[in-house]
Amino acid sequence: MESPLTAESAPPTPAPRNHTPSPSPRAEAQEVRMEEKEGTVEEGETADTEEDSIYLSLSEVSVFVEEPAEDASEKAVAEEAAAEERAEREAQRQLLATEELVYTERNYLRLLQVCTCTIRSNLQKHQPQLTNLDSMFLYIEEVIDVSGRLLSLLDQKQLTPHDPLFLETLCEAFLSLSTDIESAYKEYLANYNNVTALENSYKQKEALWTEIVKVIKSSAPEVNAASLSFFLVMPVQRIARYPLLFQTVMKHTEPGHPAYSLLEQTAHTAIALNCRINEYKRFREVADKYKKTETLTIRDKMNRLNSHSIAKKTARLSQFIKHETGIAPKLVDEEFDALEGFFYLLENGITVLHENVETYLDHLQRFLSYRPEEFDLDMDSEKPVICYKEITTALRQWILPTFEKRMRTLVHKPLCALKELLAGPRNLISKRLDKLLDYELIEEKPSLSYDEQAVANTYKTINTLLLNELPQFNGLALTLLWGMLGAFSCLHKDLAADMEQLFQGFTQQLPPGSLEPNAFWEWAECSVLEGARRLESLCWNVKDQLNDSIVQPLSPGSQNRLKVLTDKHGSGKIYQLTGHVVGTRDLDLSLNRGELVAIISEMDTRGDKRRWLVDAGGPRGYVPSSKLVRYHQVTMDPPPSPHLTVTTMDCAGGVRRYSYHPDVRRLSYTPDTPQPQLVRAMSVPCFQVFAGYDFRARSSHEVSLRAGEPIRVLEPHDKKGSCDWSLVEVRGQRGYVPSNYLAVMPTSTTPTATYR
Amino acid sequence: MSWMPFKIGQPKKQIVSKTVERDFEREYNKLQKLEDQTKKLHKDMKKSTEADIAMSKAAVKISGDLLSNPLCEQDQAFLESMTALDTAMKRMDSFNQEKLNQISKTVIDPLKKYSSVFPSLNMAVKRREQALQDYKRLQSKAREELRPVREDFEAKNKQLLDEMPKFYHSRIDYFQPSFEALIRAQVVYFTEMHNIFSELTDQIDQAGLTDEQRERENEAKLSELRALSIVADD
Repeated sequence: MESPLTAESAPPTPAPRNHTPSPSPRAEAQEVRMEEKEGTVEEGETADTEEDSIYLSLSEVSVFVEEPAEDASEKAVAEEAAAEERAEREAQRQLLATEELVYTERNYLRLLQVCTCTIRSNLQKHQPQLTNLDSMFLYIEEVIDVSGRLLSLLDQKQLTPHDPLFLETLCEAFLSLSTDIESAYKEYLANYNNVTALENSYKQKEALWTEIVKVIKSSAPEVNAASLSFFLVMPVQRIARYPLLFQTVMKHTEPGHPAYSLLEQTAHTAIALNCRINEYKRFREVADKYKKTETLTIRDKMNRLNSHSIAKKTARLSQFIKHETGIAPKLVDEEFDALEGFFYLLENGITVLHENVETYLDHLQRFLSYRPEEFDLDMDSEKPVICYKEITTALRQWILPTFEKRMRTLVHKPLCALKELLAGPRNLISKRLDKLLDYELIEEKPSLSYDEQAVANTYKTINTLLLNELPQFNGLALTLLWGMLGAFSCLHKDLAADMEQLFQGFTQQLPPGSLEPNAFWEWAECSVLEGARRLESLCWNVKDQLNDSIVQPLSPGSQNRLKVLTDKHGSGKIYQLTGHVVGTRDLDLSLNRGELVAIISEMDTRGDKRRWLVDAGGPRGYVPSSKLVRYHQVTMDPPPSPHLTVTTMDCAGGVRRYSYHPDVRRLSYTPDTPQPQLVRAMSVPCFQVFAGYDFRARSSHEVSLRAGEPIRVLEPHDKKGSCDWSLVEVRGQRGYVPSNYLAVMPTSTTPTATYR
Repeated sequence: MSWMPFKIGQPKKQIVSKTVERDFEREYNKLQKLEDQTKKLHKDMKKSTEADIAMSKAAVKISGDLLSNPLCEQDQAFLESMTALDTAMKRMDSFNQEKLNQISKTVIDPLKKYSSVFPSLNMAVKRREQALQDYKRLQSKAREELRPVREDFEAKNKQLLDEMPKFYHSRIDYFQPSFEALIRAQVVYFTEMHNIFSELTDQIDQAGLTDEQRERENEAKLSELRALSIVADD
């Protein structure tokens, strides 16, 4: 049998072009595992055939009966074995992940050193001098240093990854160096844009660039590099990779493992490092790009909001207010109306914005709660999957969370505070209105009482207060809003910038990624369609060849039902239940596996094709179509009369094998396989022969049968030796019946003479 | 075990050798895990997509509601800023929609299709199990009678032992385009986002502010507000 595993013996990951030239431990280990598996399968097969032949030769000697108790304990043992196997696999995966971490770190360091030493010195020799070459290598020394220290801390202990203490050592080393890692990488990343800018300036001069590339390739021939940034982008990628690397090790580590909490701490630290490094990068960008002129323009605009000028734009607004509120105060103070109008709009705007921002943050949190990157379909050695996981992990674990945090601090929090401050002016404005109404009543009077004076004064005070301070309030609030929205935009920009930084290395490594957009999507959609086609054909194979009807002789009851249903509906509509069904809804039937039904309709009244209406030989109702399979019946035509024909049949004299099932599609049973030697049946039967189907005798040589009645076989062949017919005795009569109409059923009790 | 001529004394007979059974179990387990993961991935991707859409729509609503508030018209500069914000949000939303459409076609649909194979597969495994049970049950019969049953089982067994690893391996080629598409879609989306918001930020945001500075400015303004008499003291 062709081993299906040979296809897998090549490493699943093609050696990545731009990465490590030799396969990583992971790929190598997978190869080894494949070979081991292959060995086991072959072993198993030979053992099986041996056992099989031994067994068959013993079948005559004794009767074997299964013991359920043995079954259960064996099952427990098997489960234990399976659990052990799983634990072993996990341990192996943990080991692989750890090795991967260390191996890639070494490789990374090596490549950085190649770049910094060899390539750099070669480039320095270039005539004419390359401008600003040194600035490309500004902060790389620190990165190289800290990476080297990490590895030397590991090497000092002289442990191998197999050592149980290795993981602890690794985590401790990383944690102890985390501050230095942060300071090294943050400078590097903050400066990286300058590196790409400089490289681009080199690329502008074609001739120069070609020479540079030549130097690179000659300095590092074993690496497939075509630019300086190929090397220089590595620290950018590496720092973002640590969280996933540590998390992968954690994934395959038991919580009870001594190094587990340390591992957790390390993974968290790795994430925190990335957050802070990115924050620093932004800080530096802002500090460097500070342009006074731009700031002043917008600042200026915002500051202008503080003046009384808003209040002066009165006419439209006061009309609007009067219209909306229906109030026509006798004392029309246009200025106040404008301020008040503005305030209400502001209030409305702030409240709605607050609501919208909270909704936005809710959805953001929901988005963060899903982690589809964790379901990698066991493809985590495939390049695109690794890239996808790194990208999504970064997005979900620190890039988006940072965005969320900043949103809350710079937008949501001040917005909440602002919203609360609205209450004061609002209350005061409505108080003023009350007082105004009171005031209007007494205003006309020539002289006011003491109380009335008080009312007048209150109104005037509130009015003046509001007139003075509302403009400030409105202006400040609007400025705040404007600032928040500016921050909102900036946060998006930073989010996108963080993601772009992450993408920098990947597009090189994934060939389709370098395709133009249209070409890429065409390729993707085509591949997906192709995949679907292949899947469909696989599905068809599985359905077609393996979903046989159940191999079982029919009980007399089933036989009756079959007849009834066939008569009523036709043999084309007969189906069999492949499993028990229990009806849950109205008109659902509850049936057992193996029961025969006839299909009345292949959908229910609502057009649902998963529920079919069937006739169960009396009751009618719905069963799930997934549990139905066509039932193929034996043709009811018996072979020609025994005396008239002689057919060459397969039996080599002796006992005829009794038809086991009317129609079985046998896959391995090809006509070419030689028939096995027949063995005489036991004289003490533990099985009973029955009539499988009704049969009507058509001549005096034949005897009629009723399905289900026990018969006794006298001779399993006719006078000419044909096995098509058997001489039987039933109900005291003797005669020939078609052999394939007979069924054999094992009996669990010792057979008694059930027939006369 | 070829040196053992008889197996009498072993009450439980081995119809199928333990190794074969174990291999079968192992392959089937792999597929069951794959089925589980495929379903979970499908579900999570769908939910994550829904949240993504909701987020984008919420962002559009932020800017839309602001712009429709007559407040904007009070100041020309403010109006221009809000208009720019609104335009940016709408553009991002349409890019988001495009991204998710592409993901739907190249990731979510294929996931669903892949899942749909498993019921057939599980059914086939059940049939094999049934065949095995039948085979075991009729052990006591003569070899001749037993043959069709045994052959039936062996055929099913072989078929599955062949197909299962093949199917398991096929996932790599099948899903490769999906993962590539996921990456590419995100790259495109965030590149656009960077362009759009860089432009917008230049237009509406005060440049050269760190987060701390922003916080301080916000606090300063809020303090000024609180200092007003018309604002309630809490």
